[in-house]
Amino acid sequence: MLKDQIIAIEKAAKDAFEGATDPKGLYDLKVKYLGKQGDFSLLMREFGKLPPAEKPAMGQSINEAKNRLEEVYARVEKKLKHAETSAAIEKERLDLTLPGPERAAGARHPIAMVINEITQILARVGFSVRHGPMIETDRNNFTALNIPEDHPSRDLQDTFYIDDKHVLRTQTSPIQIRTLEIEKPPFRIIAPGAVFRCDSDISHSPNFYQIEGMLVDHKVSMADLRGTLLYFVQEFMGKDTKTRFRPSFFPFTEPSAEVDCSCPICKGKGCRMCKQSGWIEIGGSGLVNPKVLAHCGLDPEEWQGFAFGFGVERMAIIKYAIDDIRNFSENDLRFLRQF
Amino acid sequence: MKISLKWLNDYVDIAEFLTEPARLARALIDAGLEVEAIENQAENFKNVVTGHIIELGRHPNADKLTLCQVDTGEGRPRQIVCGAKNHKQGDKVVVALPGAVLPGNFAIQLSKIRDVESQGMLCSETELGLKTESEGIVILPKETKVGQAFAQFSGRDDVFFEVNVTPNRADCLSHLGLAREISCLLDRKLKVPTTELKAGTKKNLIDVKLHDRDLCTRYTGRSIFGIKVAASPDWLRDRLTSVGVNSINNIVDVTNFVMLEFGQPLHAFDADALKGHYLSIEKAKAKEKFKSFDGTEFELKGDELTIRDKERAVALAGVVGGLNSGVTDATTNIFLEVAHFSPKGVRRTSRKLGVETDSSLRFSRGTDPEALLTVVDRAMGLIQQLAGGEVSKDYVDLNPAPIERQAIKVKVAHVGERLGYPVESAEFVAWMKRLHCKTKVTHEKASPSKGTVAKESGDVVTVEAPSYRVDIENEIDLIEEFARLNGYDKIPESFPQVVSRPLDHAATYVHEERIANLISQEGYFEARNYNFVNPKWQNEIYETEKFNKLGLSAGGVAVPILNPLSEDTSVMRQTLLCGLLTNVLHNYNRGETAGRLFETGFVFGKATQEAGASYIEPHRFALVCWGAKADLWSKGQAPAVFEIKSTIQTLARRLRGKLDFRAMTANEVPAIAHPGQVASLFYEGKTIGFIGALHPALRDEFKIRTDVAIGEVDLTALMRGQPRVPKTQPISKFQSVERDFALVMPTSLAVGEVVREIEKSGAPLLQSVHVFDVFKGGNFTEGQQSVAFRVILQDQAATLSDAQVQAATQKILAALEKKFSIKPR
Repeated sequence: MLKDQIIAIEKAAKDAFEGATDPKGLYDLKVKYLGKQGDFSLLMREFGKLPPAEKPAMGQSINEAKNRLEEVYARVEKKLKHAETSAAIEKERLDLTLPGPERAAGARHPIAMVINEITQILARVGFSVRHGPMIETDRNNFTALNIPEDHPSRDLQDTFYIDDKHVLRTQTSPIQIRTLEIEKPPFRIIAPGAVFRCDSDISHSPNFYQIEGMLVDHKVSMADLRGTLLYFVQEFMGKDTKTRFRPSFFPFTEPSAEVDCSCPICKGKGCRMCKQSGWIEIGGSGLVNPKVLAHCGLDPEEWQGFAFGFGVERMAIIKYAIDDIRNFSENDLRFLRQF
Repeated sequence: MKISLKWLNDYVDIAEFLTEPARLARALIDAGLEVEAIENQAENFKNVVTGHIIELGRHPNADKLTLCQVDTGEGRPRQIVCGAKNHKQGDKVVVALPGAVLPGNFAIQLSKIRDVESQGMLCSETELGLKTESEGIVILPKETKVGQAFAQFSGRDDVFFEVNVTPNRADCLSHLGLAREISCLLDRKLKVPTTELKAGTKKNLIDVKLHDRDLCTRYTGRSIFGIKVAASPDWLRDRLTSVGVNSINNIVDVTNFVMLEFGQPLHAFDADALKGHYLSIEKAKAKEKFKSFDGTEFELKGDELTIRDKERAVALAGVVGGLNSGVTDATTNIFLEVAHFSPKGVRRTSRKLGVETDSSLRFSRGTDPEALLTVVDRAMGLIQQLAGGEVSKDYVDLNPAPIERQAIKVKVAHVGERLGYPVESAEFVAWMKRLHCKTKVTHEKASPSKGTVAKESGDVVTVEAPSYRVDIENEIDLIEEFARLNGYDKIPESFPQVVSRPLDHAATYVHEERIANLISQEGYFEARNYNFVNPKWQNEIYETEKFNKLGLSAGGVAVPILNPLSEDTSVMRQTLLCGLLTNVLHNYNRGETAGRLFETGFVFGKATQEAGASYIEPHRFALVCWGAKADLWSKGQAPAVFEIKSTIQTLARRLRGKLDFRAMTANEVPAIAHPGQVASLFYEGKTIGFIGALHPALRDEFKIRTDVAIGEVDLTALMRGQPRVPKTQPISKFQSVERDFALVMPTSLAVGEVVREIEKSGAPLLQSVHVFDVFKGGNFTEGQQSVAFRVILQDQAATLSDAQVQAATQKILAALEKKFSIKPR
């Protein structure tokens, strides 16, 4: 009798469980059949009335039925939960090809990027940045750099004058003078900054940037200069870059050399950037003219130095394939966003 | 300077380079003489050859055209249609073959003229670019060989170098000078030109007095009588025109020719125009008028060196000759001046008067004082050859204090040390000799006593440089000469030994980098504007008093540039906003409806009394932000000015500094800023800048239909005490407690003030305070608003009890009521 009831309830419960459509409904069914007030609990009242000899076998039947139902429950629950998660996944599906919220992304100016890259390369071998004023004395910008009063670069058409003793610096080299006069050698410095020339056309800006380096020590040679520049261009342009020196003239260095490097774009084969020559002119250099050292109170017999300078725009043009120098000062977002 | 290779070939044998000019150019470049361009004259006559008309007939379809069979040496005659009338059968002519490109970019190709094929063109002088006008085609002499390239046949196969001579190499500003350089480089013989000259019996006509020995070191000259001024012969005219100098007459042309030959300027006076047959070399008189040969009038200041006769200035020494005494067609007697003027004086006169001539260029670079008489005779000889006349038997040669050149001692060891590779005495001496230097080698022994010449023993070469090398003054000059001649490619690439300890970077660099990197990470693009601006534009933006009070002082008035390129770049900037606002406009007008830019840099002002500097260059940064981003996810964005505010706040937080934004009174607000959307920046006891929206009137003026916000800050003040190293605190083990309250307050009360008071009264338990809602309207009357705050309280040592939290909150509310008379809602 009781046994039939057990079988009936178990079947009803199993059918009910398996027919459940959501975890909540399933749980309610579990309460209905297996809960404290559930069908099996009610059955236990009948169980109490059984003669003791039948109890163990019947108890075992009940427990086995309950265990089987628990298993069914677990199986069905797992299935339903899985279905529910799948439904949720479907509902929460997002098109990740849509854009994310725009975090404004800014960038440094290419001039700053070039200055920083050069600085970082040279800082690794002990060069430190020095700055100087842009309104500079005539003496620091010219005389002390061995550019006497009747030198062509002092002509009115090249230099912006502020008053009879001050100019807008035409080069970063007055920073050499300031360093030579203030700091004790040996030292190695790099001086980046804006410089000014009274000149404006398609390839000249009146306000442009230079970066120059100077090393002062007891024994300094052209070979040291070449070695340093080779290290620099190979870091900046690529390890396979070569350098070439051409004799030139700058009042503040002697011997002086123009520095060429093998064209990083065509690797020396000849292209538009290098005008088919395979070489690109990148700057000027030389040994610090003993007259400059003497002018700054250093004994040229004891101290020597080398110096080199590059046009920052030129470096940026080579590195980033920029085609128009106006880009550097217009601050057009369509240009700046490319960095 | 334009150099003719054929001309050079007169002085040094370079014939083989006419076909391979690039090789010679390379040799010059490697020695420091930059060849900027190579012009091959023969290129203009490519596919132009000599020909022979073997048959001449009528064109079948045109009466006015002839049909010629022309032998061009190709084995088979060419049929050519020709419209000229001056040719006949048997004539030798100039033929442009298909592929030729004649002047005016006139390309010759196979063509049909009135249905008859024409395989070339018979050329006229005009078509060949030889003359501007000509009649008929060129008929060449009977004996002309057929099939020759016209360039070679006519001698128009010269090659020209455009040489950029560096300012130190005055000696290379001439054909002979360059030939001398080449003779040294290639070790070839130099042929110095001379002309035979028959001196007469007459005495020199002009009496010369040298009164200014400072500006004129040596003055030489000679007279020639009874010459005939005429046109120059072809060779002379061609030489001059080929290098871009106009032919005038035989006398002037000789002076120009000899100048281009020797690099020494000369001047021919009409001797009879010189009053009193007298010349004096002395300074001009103040306010004196002078008319140069081309009729330009100058007023002289009095410090220019002049050549004067008894009455007036007849030339500006070394710069330009006078109209009153130049050679004319009627001139018969000439006084030729060849002088050595000081570079300084010539340069000054030339610069002050704005006259640059071939003569002033050469004098101001430095000429050879010892070549003067050679040059006089070369020119006199040529004049006599071309214009006849009797040369005076004597010269003028005033040389009161001949320039003496010091011998230079070069320690051979120094050469190797400076260049970085070993150099032997013999190598060094060999190159010096090729430079025509006199040398003497001695051996110096180390001297034990300090201060004497030799610290180490070694060879010393005593060098006497030739007089035209005015640039060689000391040891390093000669080391450079050796280096360039021996080849810069011999310099090895070694790396300097690092013996010195690296120094710190300049603080300005470090600070600017830190700020610029932080701001760009906040979504701003870095701008770089010119340091000079338009004064009118700047005056709209920069107001001295107001910017001073905002901690953005840049002197009183803007520093002007004496010689600006234009008004737009005529004064130094006092604020970075000039450039940035221009950039906003530039970008907005190109469709950038939203954007963020910043700039770091310097502004400029006159210094106040403080000793030392005359000008100040304060360090600043500025930001602009305009428009709203059109983002799929962003709704209810903050106004642009709050974008700038949060950027600066983030900056201050990263710098571990304490920054407040303070309300401003109406009269403190700069005119460019929106008076209702502006705040000053208060940083650790000092006002260091401001932020604000652009004034609506200006926005309208720019036709910008969106929000624009600006801000400028003193970079140095913000970076005070940097870098600040973080000092961490232990993390409290006890839970923090949040409490929210809303306060009803007048809109005129700055919420920032309330926040500051909450921070003050909430200490020490208060960890942070946030504003999370501002509500206006509804039940609130105009001028009232509800502001909701969330405070976070925490104790480092214990869990807060309800009573403690209650007490702390009450303390805050009480303080607010006392200070601002505001209460919770």
